[in-house]
Amino acid sequence: MSKYQAGTYTGEAPKVWPAKVNQIPKEIFGDAALFEEELKKIFYGDTWHVVGHTAEVPNIGDFKTFDLGRVPLLIARGKDNQVRVFFNSCTHRGNQLETSVSGNRKEFECPYHRWLFSLDGALAACPGSKEFAPDFKQENFGLVELKTDQYLGLILVTMGKNTPPLKEWLGDIVPLTLSALLGGDGRLKLLGYQKVRYVSNWKGYNDNDGYHGGLLHTAFRMLNFQGGSGSQPMSVNGHWVIEAELKPAQNSGFLNDPSLIDFKVADPKRGSLVVQLYPMTVMVKHMDVINLRFAIARSHDVTEVHYAYFAHEDDSEELVQHRIRQSSNLLGPCGMVSMEDAAVFQRIHIGNHTPGVAEFQKGVVSLSELSLDMKQSDETGNLPRWEHYRKVMGFKREGEQ
Amino acid sequence: MSQAVTAAHASAIEALHTAYLAALDKGDMAAWAATFASNEASYFCISAENDRRGLPLALMYDDCRGRIDDRVSFVTKVWAGTYQPYRTRHFIQQLSMNVAGANQYRATSGFMIMMTPEGGATTILTSGEYRDLIDIQGEGDQCRAVFRERRTVYDADVLPRYIVFPF
Repeated sequence: MSKYQAGTYTGEAPKVWPAKVNQIPKEIFGDAALFEEELKKIFYGDTWHVVGHTAEVPNIGDFKTFDLGRVPLLIARGKDNQVRVFFNSCTHRGNQLETSVSGNRKEFECPYHRWLFSLDGALAACPGSKEFAPDFKQENFGLVELKTDQYLGLILVTMGKNTPPLKEWLGDIVPLTLSALLGGDGRLKLLGYQKVRYVSNWKGYNDNDGYHGGLLHTAFRMLNFQGGSGSQPMSVNGHWVIEAELKPAQNSGFLNDPSLIDFKVADPKRGSLVVQLYPMTVMVKHMDVINLRFAIARSHDVTEVHYAYFAHEDDSEELVQHRIRQSSNLLGPCGMVSMEDAAVFQRIHIGNHTPGVAEFQKGVVSLSELSLDMKQSDETGNLPRWEHYRKVMGFKREGEQ
Repeated sequence: MSQAVTAAHASAIEALHTAYLAALDKGDMAAWAATFASNEASYFCISAENDRRGLPLALMYDDCRGRIDDRVSFVTKVWAGTYQPYRTRHFIQQLSMNVAGANQYRATSGFMIMMTPEGGATTILTSGEYRDLIDIQGEGDQCRAVFRERRTVYDADVLPRYIVFPF
């Protein structure tokens, strides 16, 4: 037992972090003022953010709305088949343009003064424009488009001025796993969503590790799920990758319907793929489930996650049906395996409103340097992300100049 | 289908609804599973958004009796001790009932689920609609109603927490 030192807990994020690389100050999870800084430096800063996949808007005129921090976005497929990301705001007085979560439109109309925008964002009509200000030019008032790039259909945006090109930001390691996760070519077909809000800081939602798998998840033990070999290859910019073998489970009568854990097309050798793109996008391919988790940091203690599930365009009907059955019940906020993760996101948020540091132990070989050699079941894989976060936010370590 | 519902059947169906709500409000998963037909039955719990858009993915996709029984194991065995406990109160209002075949009815009801986390205040988990296919087993006053299929379409576009119990 260790004793609390009276007066040391303030609830505010400390400016200086512990010297040990495996310790994270718990106050950074519950500090509302820090969240405002994170919005500026991370969410509106020089970082790419995943906001969707083109398979969510497969037809011309399809759109979805999403948020980056508090900034409303409108993602639409134009007549030229290009998917663009706009601020969801009329260029006149700033009125929210599209109110639906998703749908199909011929154009977007702001009801306030009936300004009309075509699918590519151009301002097509604005009543009464003869009496507009002398410098008004219709071609200057198209919807404002964010800097956007795509990777195998994954749509990323950035609001920063000095964001590196997407290819450089992803690095060499991430695409090796991410391409496989996205079905090799990104030609996906949307199966549906599970959407949920967690009472958890976005960083806590993001901090799941390779160590907990066989311990938190009782189903793995009951099914005698033997994790095979795996790796956590080191990647750049705070991204995180796990590849693991999943040996086919031995049901031993626990499940009445063992089809839940069947492999139909996935190669058990790469049975579990996880890519986490900094700051908060988790994507997994587990067995035959393809799951992209589009997340929104709503506040310092609310994180919203849209679990989107996909099939591949070339799948047979039978395979699509298998993916629907496996995806619905295995992962997500009510999944056999992952409901427990969701519980931890909320419990860790409550527990982190206490003094001291969150400790990382499994796989740590040095207290002063990050480990480069991480096993699949280590929690050291999280530490490069924390180091990236610390640097972006400008926190110094004890003893650092 | 303008055929009338017999009084015995109507009362069996009402008893079925009551048994379903009472089971969940007590957290009794075995009693929940017992409201479904024992040989062939299905339970789906899907968001109104997916349902409206024709997206097949559900929050719970129990399309066979085995999966209904497996859901009992998830709650009572797999997840035990990991989640933050909460209690529910279900309220329903029948919207329609039609004869679907011999001893079979299609019914819809609106529902609301209140939730109370342990140590917390009561809030709404979600509202929604039950779309049921109900079988009548047995004859006369001895008859009993069971769900052949219950499709729960919940209204919340974003659920306010992770989910342990069926809706």
